[in-house]
Amino acid sequence: MSVLSKLKETIVCLKAGRVTLPYPAQARPVPERFRGRPIFDAAKCTGCGGCANNCPAREILVFDVCQEVRVLQYLGRRCTYCGRCADVCPEKAVTMSHEFENATNAIGDIQQRIELFMSTCQRCGRCFKEPTTLDQLKMKGYRFDDVAHERWVFRSKAYLESEPVVDDIKIEWD
Amino acid sequence: MVARDKLNLLKDKFGPAILRADLPADDRLFVYIEPVVVRDVCRYMFGDMDARYIISIGADDRPFSGKFMVAHNFAFDPEKLLVSVLVHVPADNPKLDSISGVVPAANWAEREIRDMVGVEFEGHCYPKRLVLPDGWPDGVHPLRKDFAWNEVPKDFDDEREFKFDEPPAGCTVVPFGPFHPTLDEPAHFRLYVEGEMVRGCEYRGFMVHRGIEKLAESVLTYNDIPMMAERICGICGCVHNVAYAQAVESAAAIKPPPRAEYLRTVMLEIERLHSHLLWVGLACHIVGFDTLFMQSFRIREPIMWIAEKISGNRKTYGLCLIGGVRCDITPEMRTELRAVLDKLEAEWRPVVAAVLKDKNIQKRTRGIGVADKAACKRSGLIGPVARAAGVDIDCRRDHPYAVYDRVRFNVITDDGGDVWSRVVVRAKEVFEAIEIIRQCLDKMEPGPIQLDIKDELPIGRLGLSSVEAPRGESHHFVITGENNRPRRWRVRAPTYQNLQGVPAMIKDQQLADMTISLGSIDPCFSCTDRLETIDLKSGATKVWTQEELLKLVRAKKA
Repeated sequence: MSVLSKLKETIVCLKAGRVTLPYPAQARPVPERFRGRPIFDAAKCTGCGGCANNCPAREILVFDVCQEVRVLQYLGRRCTYCGRCADVCPEKAVTMSHEFENATNAIGDIQQRIELFMSTCQRCGRCFKEPTTLDQLKMKGYRFDDVAHERWVFRSKAYLESEPVVDDIKIEWD
Repeated sequence: MVARDKLNLLKDKFGPAILRADLPADDRLFVYIEPVVVRDVCRYMFGDMDARYIISIGADDRPFSGKFMVAHNFAFDPEKLLVSVLVHVPADNPKLDSISGVVPAANWAEREIRDMVGVEFEGHCYPKRLVLPDGWPDGVHPLRKDFAWNEVPKDFDDEREFKFDEPPAGCTVVPFGPFHPTLDEPAHFRLYVEGEMVRGCEYRGFMVHRGIEKLAESVLTYNDIPMMAERICGICGCVHNVAYAQAVESAAAIKPPPRAEYLRTVMLEIERLHSHLLWVGLACHIVGFDTLFMQSFRIREPIMWIAEKISGNRKTYGLCLIGGVRCDITPEMRTELRAVLDKLEAEWRPVVAAVLKDKNIQKRTRGIGVADKAACKRSGLIGPVARAAGVDIDCRRDHPYAVYDRVRFNVITDDGGDVWSRVVVRAKEVFEAIEIIRQCLDKMEPGPIQLDIKDELPIGRLGLSSVEAPRGESHHFVITGENNRPRRWRVRAPTYQNLQGVPAMIKDQQLADMTISLGSIDPCFSCTDRLETIDLKSGATKVWTQEELLKLVRAKKA
């Protein structure tokens, strides 16, 4: 009976009432775990580069300006807000914020740049910020991601342990 | 030991041509055979042994074995077995017998291997370029290992045009797509129309090919890929995420903790719920029944919210890593999820009751876009399309993964094979999904959700994984490799096979039924090859031809 079906469907609609929100005047609050734009906290960051190594979209670059200064740059363009950077950060320096209205004409609004002052490791000569997590990361040499062209540079896969400590400073390019 | 039985059958028949066989588990079989018998073996398996064709995979294995590799994957659904038939093809003369004559469903897969890896298939029924863009030079194959991930071939010819087939005599050509308001992705159907009747079509797709597989095997690492895999599809992302993780786990013999498996099942079923509700809504939208479209979406919304609460996002859950999952369900979420499911069930039941008796929808969808059992077998159709034709397959039951072997559910089938049956199947599967989630919530024990993997994954192992996406089986094939990334990762989404069944579905029916018979694929008119401009001041009109338009576009680009 099609008429009966139509009546039933009408009841479904009437029972529902109005469900839309007056967005953007009033937004629905986001849940606790919501993964919005990542925020990098320079005070907590130790410059280990774990977020950069684990970013699936290669959106985080690390550049050692000199022995003492390491720059960490978040590009924010093709970031998928997967939250891996926040997961792996040993210092909880990355938080997935609750910001989701991120459309902008100026990409600089979203990009972040952290400059870290690093000290020098007596053992390997690398720079670190205490307390170090470098031992766990085991990646050797400096990092020179292509900041000018905003590209990740694929680099050495050598590990610290299997290599002599002395000539550890040389940079390897793939 | 089903795998052993099947292997013995093959050995009896082909004996010395079988070079090696691996049986890593009861439900997996890898058979390495001589290239000369590939067509006979596939004919025997597809015909006499009644296997279901899944997909063919091509891989550049030259840096490791000095040869190319082609794998034809088959499934024995009642016996719960996945079989991969592997052939090594010499690097200096990469030619292999085509199986498209004996397994019609292999048509696309072989053309894709030809494009991407450069293995020629001799005797292919329709050897036309499939994946690569029109201007891509011949003889350059992007999935070969000596082709860099960011390489752009120098002699890319922007002006080389696609050559369409000649339409049959007496037919007019009507273009469908590539762009259309209800079409989520570009796909072009060139329909041959006689009066109002569609007599055939030519498909042209792969316009948004993103090269994810190449990225995965040259740039990303094992735990990066799940996040990329999720973005293969906008609706069934979690399926690819889980399927990839399971394929790697099956290759490396890793068993994720039980709680992780329960969580995977729950999230997959949440995804099925939202996807089915979305599809039923869209199907109604296409036939012009917007009331139900609105109601489906309203009923679906709480599912999106609870998914967001559990995983942090409405749709891209970012769920799996190798050996586990990233987010847990807290006791509060469990209570809330139950409440959402109860409400969903209470709201969906009257809708289904009303719709299943609605004559208007039935008149519009019954007998439309029919794919019968034979078509399913021929084109390798899967998922709700196959189940609506009475083919009783469902990867959740046939090739159990996660915890589907620990929950009870019914596989919904129907016998019409038409659009109406697909609506019925998908509308009813919603209730099964709800039941599965409830059972999971009951049975889930506290425990770790991520395995601590300390060793590097073994190299050169093969892994298969089939996951039942809302639209059908999603199949992933992985060869593990060096540098913490797979050597080869092949994704076969359900639509890859189902699209190949479309030409048969739309043949000899009204042009107006085209959109709904394509169902979720729904392309439409838009690609006209002419454009008329009117000068408002003078009122003069000018009709632009295709050639003039192309010239205009290219001039702007330069």
